[in-house]
Amino acid sequence: MSGQNYSTTDDEMLVQAARRGELAAFEELVFRHRDPIYARAFSMTRNEQDAVDLSQEAWVKGWQRLEQFQGDASFTTWMTRIVINLCLDHLRKQKRQRADSIEAMDEESGGVERQMPVVTVNPTAGLERAELRVKIDEALGRLSAEHRTVLVLHEFEEMDYKAIAKTVGCSIGTVMSRLFYARRKMAALLADMRKIT
Amino acid sequence: MTQEQQLKLQAFLDGELAESEARETLAWTQRDGAAAALLSELKNTRQAMVQAEPHLCVPETREFFWSKIEREIRRQEPAAAAAPGVSRLATLRDWLLPAVAAGALLLVAAGLLAHFNVPKPAPETAADADTPTVETTLANSDATTYRDASEGTTLVLFSYATDDNPVKKPTAIN
Repeated sequence: MSGQNYSTTDDEMLVQAARRGELAAFEELVFRHRDPIYARAFSMTRNEQDAVDLSQEAWVKGWQRLEQFQGDASFTTWMTRIVINLCLDHLRKQKRQRADSIEAMDEESGGVERQMPVVTVNPTAGLERAELRVKIDEALGRLSAEHRTVLVLHEFEEMDYKAIAKTVGCSIGTVMSRLFYARRKMAALLADMRKIT
Repeated sequence: MTQEQQLKLQAFLDGELAESEARETLAWTQRDGAAAALLSELKNTRQAMVQAEPHLCVPETREFFWSKIEREIRRQEPAAAAAPGVSRLATLRDWLLPAVAAGALLLVAAGLLAHFNVPKPAPETAADADTPTVETTLANSDATTYRDASEGTTLVLFSYATDDNPVKKPTAIN
């Protein structure tokens, strides 16, 4: 199958060919799914170069672990789990290299989110989807890595509390409080952006 | 509102509460304005997030992005990825067949050698204990061992040639 054009081959067949050592088949899988894998890495790290490096590392790990892919979930979902774990390792290393963020300290000391006034008017009402995406992206960038991670895993990856706790390596209670803070902070940030515009 | 109540409200929104707890929480939000307002804010944020996940693309060309992945794969698995498109089985076959052929040749050669040159083991039984044995050394060697088990004697004969007599003379030591 070497030198074969895989552009019309489905994912399942590509995975099978890649398992036999066909790099060209794996390249096609990378080409098809590289954007969502990169997007997940970026949503967690908020750094373009880190996201590129981590997503490439995820693809290398994907190649090495192809035998473990059972096909229970889609190939993209399987690859996304790999990149999420790499991003979590990366963020843990980063955290060890610097002092904890103010947000994390607030979380430990009872949290400022409890004092935040409730945003009564929906700050995203009436926004075009493209405009909303830009605002969400900007607001996500202003959250700490810990809060952003839980929010991304819950809202984008649709993980429940238990799955997030297992993935991140913390208690369900911590997941709940981080998610609560992240949502409240997001609401406040989006309301602020609305006022500015 | 306590933190526990706030988190319960959020768990209600996320469908993480048991049915009875969910019913209680719903009833609470219907009679408590603050709870209803907080639930509404959490719901709006969640909806905005779900609807508007940013769509991002890799900021590199396909070739450039793939080249680093390919390089790393080849670095970590030089044998498996020696040539693009060549399967591991094919690579294994390329090495395995000559190795098996060479092994088979060696076995045949060893079998032939064994057939034509079977060594005869020296007698070591009690019946031969009285018979002296002579161990001749290799042709080019100058030493010969003479062992007599009945006498408990071992003689080692060294031969050497002199200038005037090329014939080797044995020398005995005990």
